[in-house]
Amino acid sequence: MMKHFVFFIISIHLAFCVFQEDHFYEELLLKPLPSGHVYSYFQFTTVWNTDYNSHKFDHSHLFPRSLGEVVGRFNIQELHISLTEGLWRHESWGYPVNDAPPGAEVWAWFRKDCEDVDKKWKELTAALSGLLCASLNFIDSSNSISPELSFRLSGADNLLNPLNHTHLRYATLPREIVCTENLTPWKKLLPCDSKKGLATLLNAGHIHNTNYHSLGIHLRQICKPDSNCEEPIIELTQTVSLVYDLVILESSTQDWSVRKLFGIGLGGSCPLAESSLVYLDVSSNQTGSPFLLTPEPHERVVSSKGGYTSEFAVFDIKKMGDKLFNIALTHEKPRIYHLNVPPVIYANRYIVGYGQEQGGIVTKLHNTHWAPITVIFLENIPWFVPIYFHTLKIRSGGKEIKPILKKFVPGKERIRPYYLEVVVELKPRSVTEISIEFDYMFLKWQEYPPDANHGFYVGSAVITALLPVARNFTGLPQEGSLFASSMNASRPSYLIQLRTEALIINLPTPDFSMPYNVICLACTVVALAFGPIHNITTKKLLMMKINNDKGIGGFIKRAKFALSKLKSKFQKNETTEETPNSCSCSETKNKDD
Amino acid sequence: MSVVISLNLLTATYFSENALLPGLVKGEYDMDTEARSLLVELEAEAASHPHTLPSAWLLSRFHRLSLDAYTHNFTLNYPLGSSSKFTGRNVYGILRAARSSSMEAVMLTVPYRPPDSVHPTTAPGLALMLSLAKFFRRQKYWAKDIIFLVTEHEQLGAQAWLEAYHGASCGLPGVLDHGDLGGRGGAIQAAINLEIHASKIGYIDIKVAGLNGQLPNLDLVNLVHRMCSKEGVRHTFNNKEKVYKNNWWATWSRGIHTLVSMVLTQATGMPNGNHGLFHRFGIEAVTLEGFEKVGRGSPATFFQVGRVLEGLFRSLNNLLERFHQSFFFYLLPDTDRYISIGLYMPCLVMLAGALIIKAFTLWIKVQNNISIAEMESPSSDENDEEDKTVNLNVMLVGTAVFINHLQGVLLFSGTQHFTRITDAYSTENLLYGSYLIGCLLTIVSPYIIRLHKKTDNQWVLLNIIALLELATVLLAVGMNNFSLAFLTAVIYVPPALWLQSSNNRWYKKLLWIVLHPFFMLSWVVLGFTAVTFPELEPLQLLTKAFVANKQALVLCAVDSYIYASWTFNVATIFFLPTWSLFWQLTQSHSESIEATFDEEETAKKQQ
Repeated sequence: MMKHFVFFIISIHLAFCVFQEDHFYEELLLKPLPSGHVYSYFQFTTVWNTDYNSHKFDHSHLFPRSLGEVVGRFNIQELHISLTEGLWRHESWGYPVNDAPPGAEVWAWFRKDCEDVDKKWKELTAALSGLLCASLNFIDSSNSISPELSFRLSGADNLLNPLNHTHLRYATLPREIVCTENLTPWKKLLPCDSKKGLATLLNAGHIHNTNYHSLGIHLRQICKPDSNCEEPIIELTQTVSLVYDLVILESSTQDWSVRKLFGIGLGGSCPLAESSLVYLDVSSNQTGSPFLLTPEPHERVVSSKGGYTSEFAVFDIKKMGDKLFNIALTHEKPRIYHLNVPPVIYANRYIVGYGQEQGGIVTKLHNTHWAPITVIFLENIPWFVPIYFHTLKIRSGGKEIKPILKKFVPGKERIRPYYLEVVVELKPRSVTEISIEFDYMFLKWQEYPPDANHGFYVGSAVITALLPVARNFTGLPQEGSLFASSMNASRPSYLIQLRTEALIINLPTPDFSMPYNVICLACTVVALAFGPIHNITTKKLLMMKINNDKGIGGFIKRAKFALSKLKSKFQKNETTEETPNSCSCSETKNKDD
Repeated sequence: MSVVISLNLLTATYFSENALLPGLVKGEYDMDTEARSLLVELEAEAASHPHTLPSAWLLSRFHRLSLDAYTHNFTLNYPLGSSSKFTGRNVYGILRAARSSSMEAVMLTVPYRPPDSVHPTTAPGLALMLSLAKFFRRQKYWAKDIIFLVTEHEQLGAQAWLEAYHGASCGLPGVLDHGDLGGRGGAIQAAINLEIHASKIGYIDIKVAGLNGQLPNLDLVNLVHRMCSKEGVRHTFNNKEKVYKNNWWATWSRGIHTLVSMVLTQATGMPNGNHGLFHRFGIEAVTLEGFEKVGRGSPATFFQVGRVLEGLFRSLNNLLERFHQSFFFYLLPDTDRYISIGLYMPCLVMLAGALIIKAFTLWIKVQNNISIAEMESPSSDENDEEDKTVNLNVMLVGTAVFINHLQGVLLFSGTQHFTRITDAYSTENLLYGSYLIGCLLTIVSPYIIRLHKKTDNQWVLLNIIALLELATVLLAVGMNNFSLAFLTAVIYVPPALWLQSSNNRWYKKLLWIVLHPFFMLSWVVLGFTAVTFPELEPLQLLTKAFVANKQALVLCAVDSYIYASWTFNVATIFFLPTWSLFWQLTQSHSESIEATFDEEETAKKQQ
């Protein structure tokens, strides 16, 4: 009986697993950057052979259930979250696999059947805020936009009935500070947590010691491989991007190893993973000063893409066993830095003007390619920075450029942000300046944060372009899930999205105790000084005759006086001087007053 | 008055901004040998570039530290005379902070002086800066980008760089072409300007006076003094070190000396270092000038000064908000004492108040005159002919005031054109000559323009307007540049009170001519020359002062065009017309006896 029961349990379990049909892959890309920094990119991919309609996310196997519940509940088609500290320097580092702005960024596509998108969006961000311990709950419709052009579904969509931008919400929180409290819940979404596999390298102490670190969660629908995309399946990618500065790591040489970067060696793969690979970009071995790799990689892959060839050393962790081991890179001679070749497109953004009245936001777009490139420029400006659309100027080499397309939705105070999207063609080998002016405005006094003098943040601009060449390009092709899919993946063009610097704006900030003092003092002074001074300057005492007007004569005189007063009121030329009244002393006004 | 208050109520300075945490960490800077070898290298490099900035060498230095390094070119179209062009080049490197996303920055700047410069060299400061850049590069705690800027042509380079950074032109459009920058580092929170003249430093002088009398936040000034004390570097303010003496008189007179020298520096409205140009952009900045050690005693070396700067930058790095606490308006009688705006402002207000009170009494007098006139006309019906004669003719007085101001505005707006009349004379001579003519015109104008015979009351009204304008201008200037307003008030308020509405005696006229703003400039320059060159013969002194005077006038005008310093503008547009209003008064002759004013009474009020 017992035997039967065990068999029953096992068979159910097996059936369940087979039914789940989900796969987990872990990958790590290590790339020495030309500036001497080291870029490491972790990618944990879960692919689940199911679609949103057939599954309610009540049961899950490798897919994180906590995230699944959120996705199921809020009718999400696609979800992208990034939590970043630091700024990716495109000019010297090239392009990352996934670009992210400083702070937090969330964008989500809601499914066709989602009715009240704004409400769902608010609820979604609140739920994510709890899931990731980030203050994403500050996202609501007052800082979210629905860009028409910049963001498209990155995964599969129904061609006959596509989603439009009303189902998209995009928001950034540039002020969000990313730290351990975000990393821990992020790691809990992984099937092996950080107990086993590549995730063991993610020690908070070491990854926050970097110049740039970015956590990402990307959920989308993809086509089932080797099918005509009749049934879409779900793909979840969790990423970590880190950029190490070897100078800060107190390295006297340019040699580095996994242990030096992460404080620990690699100790086997996650048992639940289908594959566990480490890619090390060794392209600079030919061009720069040569280096040695220990241990020898299992495979060397040469990938040529868009006219540029790169070579990768591939380490298969599954083959290395559970022993701790280190991947080290040693230079034979001191490394020589070559002059940095900037990528095809990069951007700078800054504030111009001084004082607390008017200012401008300028974005410089550099195109180093020999052909013109069309880019989409997206600005998401908070409502407290009122920009003027008529001041939008696009200049290149002193000449004004006419944009191909402009989309603008003016903001409303406390209700919605300013949304600006411009499509512009960048001339070959040129710098294009997009500038717009704004006013500094006062907030209501309770809207100032406790550290009001720190300044207010304006999120990054997003620049979207299709690059004709793959120089410095490390991203995956749109249909690929794994890093292996980017090998030899030549395409007509390569989609990149750059995020520029976020900005700090110093809004006019009152000294919060000052108004009280000033009001008290000013009121007292005015009250004390005004009365007497006004009296002395405008009035004076005069001696008057006393008439004892009594009886009928007196009455007539009083009536005459009243009449003359009435008359003077109508004439309004001059005030009466005659005051044949019974009072002994009266005030008269001066004529020229 | 200022003096009395300052000495009885000397308040010790303190830190308002807790986030600065001054001197909390132990200094780690130890690259002084590096700095010394850099200095040797730099001096060799400078010798091969006698006139210009060794930009290639500096760029390679920054690149070697893998900083983002850029050059910045700028052009000056000289605003006076036949416009000539000057070009310059700055070099700067940005250390990108590991812990932030380039939203905020702090700056370390050094004005580079080539070997043929008349000013003392700043090469040791530059060497120190480069070694600090190397040291800072290895630290992981930076949360703000650090911009290392080396400027050329003294203040011009700094101004051009700041304008380019903020994409704005401060002065006359087209004068300073500020060019563009290759890289930026967000909002700049603070800047330290370094002028170290020797590798063995006797003391460090901390300079605060900025453009138009603007001052940096007192917290920053305190921070510098505190860090110097901590590292055992002798530090001074306006070249006066703190002395500890029991003798109250010695302390008192030293305090007065320091205070007066600060007031005199601030009153010029020109910065006494490159730091002064930053204040306009909301960047708090000071200059640290290190003088060579002379005499006995151990000097401060790169090691100590490097640690001072390390401490400063670590404190600035701690700042969460930009400087907003503490004082922006203060006077310093010592390195660790201050006088707040609440204490010194009443002095100026009382001086200006005397003018207002006199205007007030005059007004009352006019009222009395009118009412007396009314009383004398017995049948004072509403539309009496008599009324018009006693009525004040505002039009006539208004015209006089307008013409006076028009003179000032014309003189100011003509400045550029005066220097372009002819090429036969130098710009200085042309400008001086034309201003001399202009000023003589203001003196003779009351004789030429006699619109109408003014009545008694109109003279009084003119006097009232002149007094009120002087008081207003003084108070308005005092809000920005207390020192300038205070000194002007001390000079002009007593004679202005002394002058009567009419029938002034010849000595009053003479005194007022001597106080003509144009002549005042000459007296100031003469006095300054006499103090600076006491060895000169009287005749030599006069010629030197005369030449200096001409140069001072040109410099004032040029500063107004390039840096938008408003001392020149205020002097020509407001002070000069106010002066000529009073001058007109001294020329008045009135038949009826003007009521004399109780001067003692006003003097009492002044006190």
